[in-house]
Parts: sequence; C-alpha cells; structure tokens
Amino acid sequence: MVKKRKIDWGAYAFLLPALIIYLSVIIFPVCYSIYISLHNGTGIGKMDFVGLENYVQMFSDSIFLTALKNNILWIVLTVVLTTSISLLLAVALNNKFRGRTFFRAFFYFPCVVAPIAVALIWRWIYNPNIGFINEFLKMIGINYTQTWISGENSAFFTVLIASLWQGIGQPMILFLAGLQTVPADILEAASIDGAGSFTRFFKITVPLMKETFIMVIATLIISSMKVFDVVKGLTNGGPNNATQMLSTYMYSQTFSYNNVGYGTAIAVFMVLMMLVIVIPYIAFTAREK
Amino acid sequence: MNSRKKKRIIKYVLLISLAIIWVIPIFTLFATAVKSKSDFYSGISLFELPESFAWSNFVNALTEGRILHYMKNDLLVSCIKVPLGIFVEALAAYAITRLNIKHRTAIFAFFLIGMMIPMQIALVPINIVFNSLHLTNTFSGLTYVYIGFGISFGILVLRGFFMEIPREIDEAARIDGANKWRLFISIILPMAKPAVATLMITDFLATWNEYLLATIIITDNQYKTVPVGLMTFVGEHGMDYGYLCAGVCVSIIPVLIVYLVFQRHFVEGMAGAVKA
Repeated sequence: MVKKRKIDWGAYAFLLPALIIYLSVIIFPVCYSIYISLHNGTGIGKMDFVGLENYVQMFSDSIFLTALKNNILWIVLTVVLTTSISLLLAVALNNKFRGRTFFRAFFYFPCVVAPIAVALIWRWIYNPNIGFINEFLKMIGINYTQTWISGENSAFFTVLIASLWQGIGQPMILFLAGLQTVPADILEAASIDGAGSFTRFFKITVPLMKETFIMVIATLIISSMKVFDVVKGLTNGGPNNATQMLSTYMYSQTFSYNNVGYGTAIAVFMVLMMLVIVIPYIAFTAREK
Repeated sequence: MNSRKKKRIIKYVLLISLAIIWVIPIFTLFATAVKSKSDFYSGISLFELPESFAWSNFVNALTEGRILHYMKNDLLVSCIKVPLGIFVEALAAYAITRLNIKHRTAIFAFFLIGMMIPMQIALVPINIVFNSLHLTNTFSGLTYVYIGFGISFGILVLRGFFMEIPREIDEAARIDGANKWRLFISIILPMAKPAVATLMITDFLATWNEYLLATIIITDNQYKTVPVGLMTFVGEHGMDYGYLCAGVCVSIIPVLIVYLVFQRHFVEGMAGAVKA
C-alpha cells in the first residue's frame, strides 16, 4: 500500500512562534506604513487619503534631496573607508606576533559601545572650548580653532570619523576569519612560482575571500543606509541639514513636526532603496549550499 | 633577514600609532569626567591634572543622574529578551533545517527580509498600535518588539550552525524513540551551544545598546533603558561637562565588563557564527 505523504503539521508548529512575532513586528508594520504613507495626518484621528502625493512631494523637497544626497555619500564613504581600513588591519593582524591578541581586542572594543554613547564621547573631541582637537592644537602651539560639529563644512566628516572609529572592528574580525580560509599551500606555491606579496594578495587572497567581501560590503551598506544614533547624538542632522540623513529626516518629520504620512513615505522610500541594493545579497545567502 | 626586521618595526609603529588615535576618545572622556565644575571655570587644559579628582561625578551620575536605574531597566529587558528570542529563533531554525516542511528555502528567505527592513518603517505603526493597546512605557512591549527585530539574524546564525550537525544523529535519536521535541531539546540545542553562546553575547549587546525603538516606546523616566536615559541625562545637564562625561563613562562600564569576560567569544566565535 502506498502511503500518501501527509503534511507534518507538528513540524510547522515549531515555526509558529517566530512567525507570529515576525509577522506582527516586521511584516504588519511594513504594510501598515505603506497604507499610512498614502495619507496625510497626524496619526491620531482621521487620515486623509492623498494617493502618491507624499512621494511626489519628496522630490520637490530640497531638504529631502539633501538628506538623500548625504545618505548616499555616507554609504559610499563608509563602505570604501571601512572596508579598506579594516582589511588592512586584518592583514596586519593575521600573522602571529607579540601583542596580536591585544591589538585585535583593542580595535574591536568600540563596536560594543552603544552608538549613542559613541556620539556623546566624540562630542568631547570636537568641543570648541574644551575639546581634544582644539586643546591639542593649542598645546603644540597652533592657534587654530574650529567649531567642528557646528561648522557646515566639517560637520559631515566629524560624524563620519566617529562612526568609522566604531565601525572598523566588526569587518576586521570577518576579514580575519576570511583570511583563515585561504589555504597556505596555494600561497606557498605561488610564492615558489615567483609571485610577490602584492600579486599573491590581489590575485589569490582577495578572489578566494569573495564571500567575505560580499558579506562585509552588504552588511555595511545595510547599516550605513539606516544610520541614525550617531548622527542623532552628535548633530541631530544640523547644522543647516549638513548631516541630515533619510533616517533623521524621517524621524523629525514624523515625531517633531507630526507629518506622519510624509515621514512614513520617507521610511517606505528607504525600504525600496534597500530592496534594490540588497535583494541580490539575500538570494546569495538563501541559496541551498 | 634585515628587511624582515624592518618590516616588523614598520608594522609595530603603524599599529601603535593607530592604537593611540583609537584611544583618544576614551582618554578625552575620562580626562573630562574627573574634573569638577571649578576646574572648567579656571580654564584648565584637557591635558592638565585637575586640582583634585572629582570622583563624586561618577557617583552622582549613577544615583542623582539615575544611570544606575536605567541600567537596572536595561538589564531586565535584555535578560528577558535574549533567552526568549534565541529560543524562538532556535525553534524556527530547527524546523527549517531538520523537519519535514515544504519550501524551506523560501521560508528562510522570507525571514531574512527582516534584516534589511530599516526599523524606521516600524516606528509609526508600532507607535499607533502600542498607544491603543497601552503598551507604551512597558517592558513587555519593548521586549516583544526587540524579539521581532532579532529574529532574522538569529535564524540566520542558528540555521548555519544546525546544518553542520550530521543527519545521522536525527536518525539514531528517532530509532531510540525520541520525538521532534525531544530531539530538539535534548540533542540539537545542546549541540549548538557555541552558536547559542555567541548569539547570546551579541544579542545582549545589541539589546542593551538599542536606542531608536526605545525612544518611541519608552518616554517615562522610570522605564528608560541606558541609551535613552543617557540622552535624557545629557539634556538635563547640558553645561556640566565633568558630570556629563562621568555619566557616559559609567554607562559603558557594563559592556566593558561583558567584553572583557567574553572577549574570546567575540574575536573567535563571532567570525565562526557569522561565517556558518
């Protein structure tokens, strides 16, 4: 007798708790947000249906466009600088030498500090009256003071540097793990064939670490796309929107100005932007090995 | 041999100078925190020692500044969220990797979407729903949302680890009469201890440090977690530099302790867990 394959409901029960929480905390809010973004109102009481007006408005809103431009610049600079510095560090810390464990632990440490605390820590580097940079310049006899955080030209980079300080450690660890997977005998063989250390690195190590690179860059794009805490804590988007990001603009529109429909439309735009960038990565991760 | 030595010296010099740059923020924070108000009035330099170390800044920040209270709240939320979240994630990862379900790859991909959904999109809906369900300013509300946002990463890590456990073990257990639940609780979960340990630490830190959702859900000082409380603290004492820095300083002590105790897990475990 051929037994008909029955659906094993018991197996699905194991998925249930995660599924319920996931649907209610992630999927439902996404759908609800799309709905809200098609309306105007304060979120309390009646919302007026306005169709795609909020989305049209975005592209004639100069502050939104500034935030978008800043955010893209932020992503590009974060990815390029973090990847190169952390890869360099990983290579330097890969071989056994005295103090290696210390340096690894040391450069990783900022990762465990709350981003909001990182912002608050860096305020004292940039403080124009008692901050480190101005005091240091004074000490070595250079009479130059800057307002750093509140300077329109410098603000963006002050936040970026604080964020880099925190963000280097994690990719460094991933690169270190990636470097372990490169077989030593291949490198040795190449060395015997006369390949220099640069050739070996770029022709063998880097291609073999492709998966690590993809993962590091994807996670960096995702995290820098939604950067919030460090900006909020240091500049809150100012001065004159010089550090305004999509997330901070969305936040202030929604919770400071009560433009809930418009703020939510910005959040939906962030999701769309993310989907375009990250779907290839998800496909790559989910594929059956 | 000589060039090798030279290379090593260059490496040390570079690493040490980078390390010095890296330590500046911490130095600045500490050097400011030990100074009293009068030190700032007298225009003391950052690099000078204060007249007398103002250790009271730290004590005051903890008590009057309520940092200790915020820590208690944060610890409570983290200690409920982390084990509960990991248990839920492990159940799902177990079903995806080892049980007889259809479309396992699609289900896994569906769970992964959460990793790239910016929290921002959930803020307004959560705010509206929580207001009507009276879940704002409750630990249970905050914890529930935190578990939701942790699910994607947790399933990613645990699935990777569960897949490495050989299939024969399931067979053997089944022959011995273990059902799905027994297999999960007594065999698979204990075998995944390294992954669970790493996940626990990263999850604890992520929960402890979370700011954005907490600002939306918690507005009452009584329930604030450390990051939100820290911003309140800074807002309340805008000009008292030493006191402010002392507050930030003490707020990072718990993570510093966790880091020092579990350091090995960070540097080795993390890479392993994520790679799998």
